[in-house]
Amino acid sequence: MRRKGFSRREVLAGVGAGLAAAVVPGCSGGDSGRSGALQVWGGVPAASGPADVVKAFQAKFPQYKVNYTRFVNDDRGNLKLDTALQGGVDIDVYFTYSQGAMALRAGSGLAADLTDRVKADPDLQVFLDTEQPRSYIDNGKVTALATAREPFFVLFNEKLRQQAGVELPQAWTIDEFRATARKLTTDTTVGTYTLPDVARIALGPNYWYDGNRSNFGDPHFEQGFRVGREMIAEGTAFPWTEVLSRHLDAYQQNSFLGEEFHLWSTAPFNLRYLYDAKKYPHDFKVAFAPSPTVDGQNWNGGSFSNFIMVNPKSPKLEAAWAFVKFWLTEGATPMLKGGKMPALGNVTDEQIVSGMLGKEPEKYFDLDSFRRVVLAADPKLATDTRLTGFPEISLAVKQQRDLCWLGEKDPGVAIREVRRLADAAIARNERRP
Amino acid sequence: MATATVVAAGTKARTEQGSGIRPSGWIGFLFIAPNLLGVLAFTLIPLISVVVLAFTDWNLVSGLGGITFNGIDNFVAIARDPGFWHAIGLTLVYVVVSVPLTVVLGLALGIALNRPLPGRAVLRAIFFLPYIVNVVAIGMTWLMLMNPKAGLVNQVLDAFGIQPGWFASSHWALPALIVMAVWGGVGYCSLIYLSALQDAPRQLYEAADIDGASAWSKFRVITWPSLLPTTIFLLVTLIIGASQGFGLIALITAGGPGDATTTISYYMYQTGFQFYRFGYASAIGLVTFVGVLVLTLVTWRAQRGRALNDQ
Repeated sequence: MRRKGFSRREVLAGVGAGLAAAVVPGCSGGDSGRSGALQVWGGVPAASGPADVVKAFQAKFPQYKVNYTRFVNDDRGNLKLDTALQGGVDIDVYFTYSQGAMALRAGSGLAADLTDRVKADPDLQVFLDTEQPRSYIDNGKVTALATAREPFFVLFNEKLRQQAGVELPQAWTIDEFRATARKLTTDTTVGTYTLPDVARIALGPNYWYDGNRSNFGDPHFEQGFRVGREMIAEGTAFPWTEVLSRHLDAYQQNSFLGEEFHLWSTAPFNLRYLYDAKKYPHDFKVAFAPSPTVDGQNWNGGSFSNFIMVNPKSPKLEAAWAFVKFWLTEGATPMLKGGKMPALGNVTDEQIVSGMLGKEPEKYFDLDSFRRVVLAADPKLATDTRLTGFPEISLAVKQQRDLCWLGEKDPGVAIREVRRLADAAIARNERRP
Repeated sequence: MATATVVAAGTKARTEQGSGIRPSGWIGFLFIAPNLLGVLAFTLIPLISVVVLAFTDWNLVSGLGGITFNGIDNFVAIARDPGFWHAIGLTLVYVVVSVPLTVVLGLALGIALNRPLPGRAVLRAIFFLPYIVNVVAIGMTWLMLMNPKAGLVNQVLDAFGIQPGWFASSHWALPALIVMAVWGGVGYCSLIYLSALQDAPRQLYEAADIDGASAWSKFRVITWPSLLPTTIFLLVTLIIGASQGFGLIALITAGGPGDATTTISYYMYQTGFQFYRFGYASAIGLVTFVGVLVLTLVTWRAQRGRALNDQ
């Protein structure tokens, strides 16, 4: 006898099948639904340079179309990129900004092996350098290439510097940095936002690691915590209670422009706030000093960064590589306006000045010191290549530094806690398959 | 008679089709299908996934092929993880302080707003407002109010010689979050209590008045027992809500200073979304779920037989 209706089981099975039909194609790693255009995902807003790079690429290679998608470079944005890569979303080329995410992506098969292409290209040999690496090399395979060079420097508010009668340093130590901050401290302006990373300057890349343990037993880590705390206590560095309660870590530029503090140890990406007086009003020029040295060591706190990677599942590997090579070798000039100096240094000084310092560079910057510190100098950039437990260690350092600089924890105790947590994170991550 | 006919017809239809659904029945399923799909996709499948992932080591980025089953390793690790127990401790403090405070103040406000007051409707709306305001707006406002140096709260407290560091102090950050949670929840509780108070049996109050009962006696013997089911509902929902408290922590303190506000939901977020230990984070989620379930059942059982209707 023919049934007149559906059983509950049949209806639920139908709903489940419908759901599966809707979900499964989204998880597919195949090429169905892929567009013809090269899909590039990056964290920089298109208007801050990538749109012009794409335009120039398409002009040179009219056979390729490029679609640039911006993801926000925070936890959620990176998770979105990771799930998209894993779920088979149409992505051919993407950028990675944090070291932790890079290790994870490269180690999980989400990055194509670019070694042969890099080796075969005379223009790209520098990416094989392991002394001051500009690439991420995972088990002998080049999987990520830095597109930007981000050296740290110290910015001076020229108006306040001249009022205080302080010389603009051309070379200085961390002790001189501290003494200068003291001289520049007034009733209304704190000497500096914070201290440059003492241990980083002294120890260079991979400074958190020592063999199969952490390196926080090195005295420079405690020195950094201690000097920072002392400077806050004496009023020459910004009070950490204010930094935390106003979330200043992400908005340092506002306090610098508001002349709340004087010395600012920062990198080129923050220069964009200093040449647009309409958007970011201020009436002072900025001068540049190099990062201070520590015990004769002069590693720069900055690094090669903004790594470009190719999705190994991309069906357009040739087009993807053409785009990567174009960005690296000739296309990155538009990125200067966002403070991204090309990793290969293949731009002229004048392009950097006009690209990074806006339309009226003389009005807002001391160009002599800029040329000396940023253009002529060749700082030793410290790019990390050892990344075991990187996110856990980053968090431990931040947490303990906060407690120390709030005055709640002794620097020695805080560093010992960082060491304990870092050792545990390294051990745990090295145990993982 | 008409009812009897409909019942008989319905019984006949069910008998003909056994356990199947009448033709008009599956149309009903079609109507609820969008919602059912949503529940499946966003609740049931994730829920089952969490249970499965709790027994794995997985970093998400390695894809489904990267899932490694590790038995009960995650649960053993949880038992030995000081970070987990610290987060549980903070969550308990947060729940145990914020929930009763919210309920008590909500009850007091509800009783106050139940009396004839000039502008009562406006007052009710004002007190309910925090419940519907966006969490980002709440967070940013309190961040300014509780600025240790320039915030209004400390300017007032300065008169009493108190200067809490609020979000810039590991001792004060959790109390600050509790203050915000209580402020945000009191209006909601008062509204629920208000509706319950309006359903309280009038005749009992009239009888009590005739007997010359005091206001306290009336509250203790009539009002409170009649409000008990509402109180339990509020306790259960607030305990669940407070155990899951995440938005304000993510927005304002990111678990700090140090780990002073790393409650269990934020710890779970850190473990999963910052450290990419999704298997371990799922195990934490599962353990927390069981904990909250037990707490809820204990609360639920504690009121049985004590409500006015049960007596």
